Amino acid sequence: MSIRDVLSPFTAWKNLFRDPVTIADPLNERPGAARYRGFHKNDMDKCIGCGTCETICQNGAIDMLPVSGVPAKLGDSGLRPRIDYGRCCWCALCVDVCMTGSLTMSNEYKWVESNPDLFRFTPGVDKKHWDNAELGYQRHAEKHLTPGERVEMPELEPAARIGSFTEIVDGYSIEQAKLEADRCVSCGLCIATCPAHMAIPDYIKAVRDGDYERGVQLLYETNPFSQVCGRVCTHRCEDSCAARHEGDPIAIRWLKRHIIDQVPQEKVLELIGKPAAPTGKKVAIIGAGPAGLTAAFDLARKGHAVTVFEAQAAAGGMTRYGIPEYRLPYDALDKDIAVITAMGVDIQYNQRVGTDIAMQQLQSDYDAVMLAIGLHQGRSTRIPGSDHPQVRKAVDLLRQITTGEKIEAPKSMVVIGGGNVAMDIARSMARLQLQQHGEIRVTLTALEDKAHFLADPVEIKESLEEQINILDSRGPQACVIDDSGKLLGLKTWKVLSIFDAERRFAPQYDESDEQIHEGEMVVEAIGQMADVSLLGNELTEKLEWNRGRIQIDSNGRTSENWLWSAGDCVKGPDVINAVADGHRVAISIDSVFTQQEAKS
Amino acid sequence: MVMQALYDTLKPRFLLGEFTKQRDDLAFITVEAVRLHALLRHLRDQEGFTHLVLLTAVDWLEDGQFQLTYLLNNRAKRQDVGLRVLIARDNATMESIHDLWAAAATYQRELREMFGIDFPDSPRLHEDFILEGWQDIPPYRRDFDTLKYAQENYRDRPGRETRDPAQHMKQQLYGED
Repeated sequence: MSIRDVLSPFTAWKNLFRDPVTIADPLNERPGAARYRGFHKNDMDKCIGCGTCETICQNGAIDMLPVSGVPAKLGDSGLRPRIDYGRCCWCALCVDVCMTGSLTMSNEYKWVESNPDLFRFTPGVDKKHWDNAELGYQRHAEKHLTPGERVEMPELEPAARIGSFTEIVDGYSIEQAKLEADRCVSCGLCIATCPAHMAIPDYIKAVRDGDYERGVQLLYETNPFSQVCGRVCTHRCEDSCAARHEGDPIAIRWLKRHIIDQVPQEKVLELIGKPAAPTGKKVAIIGAGPAGLTAAFDLARKGHAVTVFEAQAAAGGMTRYGIPEYRLPYDALDKDIAVITAMGVDIQYNQRVGTDIAMQQLQSDYDAVMLAIGLHQGRSTRIPGSDHPQVRKAVDLLRQITTGEKIEAPKSMVVIGGGNVAMDIARSMARLQLQQHGEIRVTLTALEDKAHFLADPVEIKESLEEQINILDSRGPQACVIDDSGKLLGLKTWKVLSIFDAERRFAPQYDESDEQIHEGEMVVEAIGQMADVSLLGNELTEKLEWNRGRIQIDSNGRTSENWLWSAGDCVKGPDVINAVADGHRVAISIDSVFTQQEAKS
Repeated sequence: MVMQALYDTLKPRFLLGEFTKQRDDLAFITVEAVRLHALLRHLRDQEGFTHLVLLTAVDWLEDGQFQLTYLLNNRAKRQDVGLRVLIARDNATMESIHDLWAAAATYQRELREMFGIDFPDSPRLHEDFILEGWQDIPPYRRDFDTLKYAQENYRDRPGRETRDPAQHMKQQLYGED
């Protein structure tokens, strides 16, 4: 033992005179560090109940439960996370993954209870003294576990697309689709928003796994129009997507299209399988649009004999005769329809009920009849001059373009309306103008101001790219006609307001702000109505009506027990709603058949 | 600049891989496993990086590799340099450095337990470190299912229940099951 070993313990004594590093008074407050992962907080205004926190928790510490005063609504499940502090390890993965940034942590770390059950609590609902703590762990401002930006969809540039009706959107490649699918957290908030309740997270998972055959099976469980909906659906699902809070919503519509694009038609038929054995029941469906054909598909699969009566030469309804080819190519639509007819659905083309075959005939020849006639009659503004032959309805023109009728494009034209149909006709006519005259001169006037346009934002963006002159807050007053009877254009006044205090349609104008928009043709695109003349006087009298539409119950049944109605003609225009409606009617008709069988 | 200069000095002698400057006083250098030992000795004895700050691992499951990171500190110059070594994930083995820093044996014991990486000849390597009586695959491997383990080994307190957001919404908004 050296002398150093003897003396060195005493060198520690010098520390007696240094300031202690411990805290002298342990009874006083000792706050956690600024980024301490302490007790949880949840901002009730931001939380959407997506349950991603529950899914990521590696300790199984989180439950999603209903909370009084927080109802389920679109984009919010109404559930809120309850955390079991008996299991939580404060790893903060739940905070890192939170899709809205509502879930955070305070720097509080002291909590004493005698009842252990109280340590299972719902942050933000069960009030705690750390609810207003400013410090504590927050997710990194930029580093998120899921990428916020959508994989960009390859599209034709304006210059390349405006000369023809070629489809604009290319569709994702497999790699792009996988990347986009990877952004989805599978919370399922979208499912309830989709009128057809499509199994969205499951089919997105199928894209992730590259299992397209399973994807197709999932699509067909709820929607026989995936080619159509994968292109032109109004995709309200994307409005309730959890990813939209801190980035772009998942491109659900494009992923649906991607799945159906990957599987050859023969394989699709094989995956769906054959319909059930014939039941001997006969159903007549009037109108081969999405509502009629969805019901036809469901009923045929149940073994019922379905005949569809279609006034036009081809099926699809508005999806064929209203939606331009650059948004929905006919061959894509034909694929959806081919699967439906392969189920044994018999479509009688060029058969206009009321003219070629009577309604009473259908009633007596079939066990059930469904009316799905859509909205094919354009509404008129009824302004002076609107009866001029060069004042046309958008739906009529769009139908003519589809049937391939020769249309003399006017050198200049004005479209009245600010919805998607107005954009469709403006953009279609612009293409024809360019083909026939080498230049585009289309003016579109809408009542609404730019912030309240009815058309989808992407439609407006693409219309502007295609040189459509869009004027907002313009109210049509008269079609201007010269002495020789030639249409010169449209006179409009500036719109001050559209609705009165009771929200009734009562536009107010500034008459001093008058403009004449030059146009050899004026096209009205202000809405459509159903052509119900096929019903005949007797049936029209018998049926119950609701504000101009046939009254139906929640199953789509009219006041006449043999007649059902669905789709745009009773619910207003929307493809996916029509599909959902078609399913509802098919279920209702099938259950009535089952009851009849049970009685006999 | 300083870290780049260090890299430039080392590069001709040790066949270094990628260089990542994180801060003025912190950089990472990727190096092949067989060259690590000599490089560490050089850094310790010639470049003043006398302190082994830590030794840790990352599981790059998809690439079939573990990444080992050896972080060294030069106290005099207040610099840190991290050496990154990628090794195969199957039968993962790495040369021990306990002869350079005795404390490395403890890190290596931990990595053996948490990732299943073998460091032949490292002292007390196969003694339990913190996971006494562990039977499962090493828990820091990414294919270890933490949630499944937690559910199988820890009981829930009575009174736990949960709802699926999608089902709950459908039922609330449309009255459907």
